[in-house]
Amino acid sequence: MFTKPSNIVGLLFILIISCVTVLAFQGLIGFSQNGADLALLQDSYFHSILLFSIKQALLSALLSTLLAWPIARAIYYYPNIYFKQTFLSLSLLCFVLPTLVLITGFVSLLGLSGFITPFLPEQWSLYGLQGILLAHVYMNLPFAVRAMHQQLQNIPDSSWILARQLKFSRWQRFCMIEIPSLSANLGLIFGFISILCFNSFAVVLALGGGPQSTTLEVAIYQALKYDFNIPEALTLAWSQFAIAGIFFVLLYRSNSVPWLSKDSTQKLWIPSIGKTTKGIYLLIYTGTFVFMLMPLIALLPGVLAANYSIDLIVDVLQALSLTLVLGALSAVFAMLMAYCIMLPIRSAAQHRQLQLQNLLQWLANHTLIAPAMVLCVGLYILFLPLIDLDQLGIIFVLILNTLLILPFAIQQIRARVLQYDSDYALLYQSLKLTFGQKISIEWGYIKPVMLSTFALVLLIAMGDVAIFSIFGNNNLQTLPWLIYQYAGSYRIHEASFASAILLLVYFLILLKIERAKHHA
Amino acid sequence: MLDIQQLHIQLGDNQLRYQQQISSGDIVTLQGVSGVGKSSLLLCIAGFIQPVSGQICWAGKPISSLPIEQRPVAMLFQENNLFEHISVLKNVRLGTANIDDSQIFAAAKELQIAEQMQKMPQQLSGGQRQRVGLLRTLLRPEPLILLDEPFAELDNQTRTIAANWVNKVARAQHKTVLLVTHQMEDVDILADRNWLLS
Repeated sequence: MFTKPSNIVGLLFILIISCVTVLAFQGLIGFSQNGADLALLQDSYFHSILLFSIKQALLSALLSTLLAWPIARAIYYYPNIYFKQTFLSLSLLCFVLPTLVLITGFVSLLGLSGFITPFLPEQWSLYGLQGILLAHVYMNLPFAVRAMHQQLQNIPDSSWILARQLKFSRWQRFCMIEIPSLSANLGLIFGFISILCFNSFAVVLALGGGPQSTTLEVAIYQALKYDFNIPEALTLAWSQFAIAGIFFVLLYRSNSVPWLSKDSTQKLWIPSIGKTTKGIYLLIYTGTFVFMLMPLIALLPGVLAANYSIDLIVDVLQALSLTLVLGALSAVFAMLMAYCIMLPIRSAAQHRQLQLQNLLQWLANHTLIAPAMVLCVGLYILFLPLIDLDQLGIIFVLILNTLLILPFAIQQIRARVLQYDSDYALLYQSLKLTFGQKISIEWGYIKPVMLSTFALVLLIAMGDVAIFSIFGNNNLQTLPWLIYQYAGSYRIHEASFASAILLLVYFLILLKIERAKHHA
Repeated sequence: MLDIQQLHIQLGDNQLRYQQQISSGDIVTLQGVSGVGKSSLLLCIAGFIQPVSGQICWAGKPISSLPIEQRPVAMLFQENNLFEHISVLKNVRLGTANIDDSQIFAAAKELQIAEQMQKMPQQLSGGQRQRVGLLRTLLRPEPLILLDEPFAELDNQTRTIAANWVNKVARAQHKTVLLVTHQMEDVDILADRNWLLS
């Protein structure tokens, strides 16, 4: 498999991204010269942030996954429920929403002088574990809903027909059809959310309340920013890398056989539901809709109160243009890389080389678990004496953004291309198709997933603040960075206006892509 | 000639062994109880299963070590013969670049599926899908044709039509056919020889 040119390109990309991580760590190690501060591992401060990182990650993932299940069932079993498509688009929006926008919305709603705060118990505080869980659930529950809904959609009509013919009870349908369809990916969804929350940065930075509610990623940031204590940052970074890495390996090893089925747009045999069940589903669905919309609507008063000037509009539009260009380039590169990287992984899967497949997947996705702050700072320190980072910093923003969204792209297209191979590998090999024919047929099959994945990674890339905070400069500002600047100088109304513009653009992109996906 | 020499396939705990010679242009039916290794043999000849030992030769040259794409084989699988997301006609055109549409439609008419060509595979019945797969496999330029239960989903009348069509095309183009079937009727219509695996 290592001799096929297409596989070599994929392996080369895996090597490049691995080298970037090694270089980043090398940058930090080389600068400090003393290496990691291992005594920290005995420190109670380290134990407390480690425990908190794991606790909040597992709780966030558990809540998101458990709550998503009834919602996914509601939209699956009640297919003509109102505004279903908008709901699904909004779900994606919540997942990719720039954290700053979300925090602004939550503070307006549930902060000290929030609209809802007077109706909450006196001891309520948005800061601390409950605030972090709320924000994590807000961002990840909709992702879990979409993923589970997709799994349910993959149940072939023939299964429901067979269930009817065999006179299955509701419980039997649940155990024999629904659970197997979800269980294949349930662990993956839970694990994916756990890793995202374990590495969560901006939410914990904004809503974490002191050392009691700090994660490893934020502790790394604090060690670098306030103390410039590189040995401590390295110890924390290695710990985070190791724990998230082990988690990730376990996740992929336990990944069971996917629920495969032929594509069918016909969904004529989904079991019908009674009036009471319909009512319950409506209630769950409407509640979720309101929960997702509230922080966004809470931005409106700020937008109305903003002091609009030509300067403000020009600044926002300029920042928006740069955001779109950087986001689009990163997304295109990430999609190309993800597709190429999947080629050797697919080849290993077809040859049943499970260990090789897992190793390649781990290497390809490792930027999901490598602390983003370490990658950025390590490369910054390494290249600072070699390159004019003021001039070329924007290129690093592009490269790092591409690498950090790459795991999302791989995660999204992986199941689809593996299913394609599982269904058709024998056929396309047997037909001896030309390269052009292979690509053209495969494109027809993966196009909807490629489009929605492109939208997803585009929006994630557009929301970046962390990378820009290190490599960006004030002459060229992205819109999220501009929002951060406004918020940092207490120009909250301007921040709300810029957030609303960013949200609007996000929503338009989502609508466009979802429409294209449905026509594909 | 297809020459299967001391071929040994390991399938789980099962050891499968084959020895056979099939002359060029012959149609040989392959029969045996389920699990005896009929499909495995076809998959091995096509290159999807690697043998433990032994050799497969075609026209005097060993093909066992050739990649799938370079073997002189066109195969019809028991299932998954059509890409679900492209039309039936586009499916048939794959691997049949040597054939123009008029020939495809003429053959489709004989197999009574001409009206299905513009549809998507999921709009077809099992029998229609099977005939589409059969049509493409026989129209491909490869000299060695492997058919794994090609008539399993056809009614008696259509089965006879399809078997006669295979017989006619294979003889006219001097193709060598190895065909798995459970029906003696297929053996009667098609076979120069019946190979019974035990």
